[in-house]
Amino acid sequence: MTMLQGMHLTPIGDGIILLEPTDGLDPGEPDAYLVPLAGTLQQMRARRLLYDLKNVPVIDTLYYAWLTNLASICRISGIDMVLVNIRPATAYALALTMEDNPPFACALDVNRARNLP
Amino acid sequence: MVRNAKSKKSTNQLLIEQMMTKVATISQDIEKRGQSIFGQGNLLTLDEINDYSLEFLELFVLLLQAGEKVDRRSSEHKALRQFFSNFSQQIQIRGGNLEEFVRFIHFMQDVFLNNLETDSTLDFQQTREILLLLASVFNDIILDVFHVYLAEKERTIQAQQEELKHTSTPITEIWDGVLTLPIIGTLDSSRTMSVMENMLARIEKDRAKVVVIDVTGVQAIDSQVSHHLIQMIRAVGLMGAKAILTGIRPEIARAITSLNIDLSMVSTRATLSEGLKEAFALLSITVLAADVQHH
Repeated sequence: MTMLQGMHLTPIGDGIILLEPTDGLDPGEPDAYLVPLAGTLQQMRARRLLYDLKNVPVIDTLYYAWLTNLASICRISGIDMVLVNIRPATAYALALTMEDNPPFACALDVNRARNLP
Repeated sequence: MVRNAKSKKSTNQLLIEQMMTKVATISQDIEKRGQSIFGQGNLLTLDEINDYSLEFLELFVLLLQAGEKVDRRSSEHKALRQFFSNFSQQIQIRGGNLEEFVRFIHFMQDVFLNNLETDSTLDFQQTREILLLLASVFNDIILDVFHVYLAEKERTIQAQQEELKHTSTPITEIWDGVLTLPIIGTLDSSRTMSVMENMLARIEKDRAKVVVIDVTGVQAIDSQVSHHLIQMIRAVGLMGAKAILTGIRPEIARAITSLNIDLSMVSTRATLSEGLKEAFALLSITVLAADVQHH
């Protein structure tokens, strides 16, 4: 497992990396995380990034902007980004505020995300 | 002499004295009327009617004895009002009629008024004060009964609305990992909220991969309804499931195009059965007739 500021990264096989954000993550400062994270993902030869939302109860506009930024940098780096373990209440609240389709895929859990085409 | 002595007494005392002289008749009259109203429809048993009549008289006397004037904030006044609230609630629960109940309260008041008529010892002023006192107490009681009735009705309507919400959008797991959600009627914000909440919880619980949302039963679609549908489809996607919209009738399709609503990112099928076929295809499931399987 690799630790970066505000997140844990765990390779789970086949170029798939599980990202678990910690309480230290500040979504208002994406520049502090994006470059080191992109570098680490490249070093790990990541093909797919699974962003675990199990411990994220609310996705507000700030957090959504962070996820969108991360999805953009993943796309440029040739990495698929998949959100996993989103809670029903979080999905519900986010769907009410979203204006466009999200730029990332979503899966119910890590296993489903691993098996996505 | 008697008149002088009576004039010094408060209205409450005068009324108590009047009641005491004829308490048996008053009680009998009220019970008899109660039996004719509540006994015939089996709303109350004879014992219950007698108990209620006696309790009413007791509480009324206690109220009159509490002071020289009736105090609306006194515990005795509250007790009497509470008694009628409970009484009317019980009648309602047993299917009784508010109108009959209010008539019964009026009858109780009439019993006292009739008593006044027969009492020649009271002067005009005293009779007037007793009349005002009775009117004030019984008006409060009728208002309370009416409030209880309205509150009960409101509770019933709310419960029916809740039930309707659940029954009008049944979410069914029609196949492993496939949920169907038929929507009937209109989709307003409150209904969307409840449908979305239930649907997302079911996706998590049943580990659904596909949700078929069928709008065959939606009579009309406007920009708000379509916005709610899109929100619903997005929420399904965020849970990692795929949404398929089915049953878009020609009129609805026309409305969607005139409203310039973009459903390009939504997978749509004409009928629920087509939607199910699409769901099976997404899950790589092939349904074959038994004889085809044999061959």
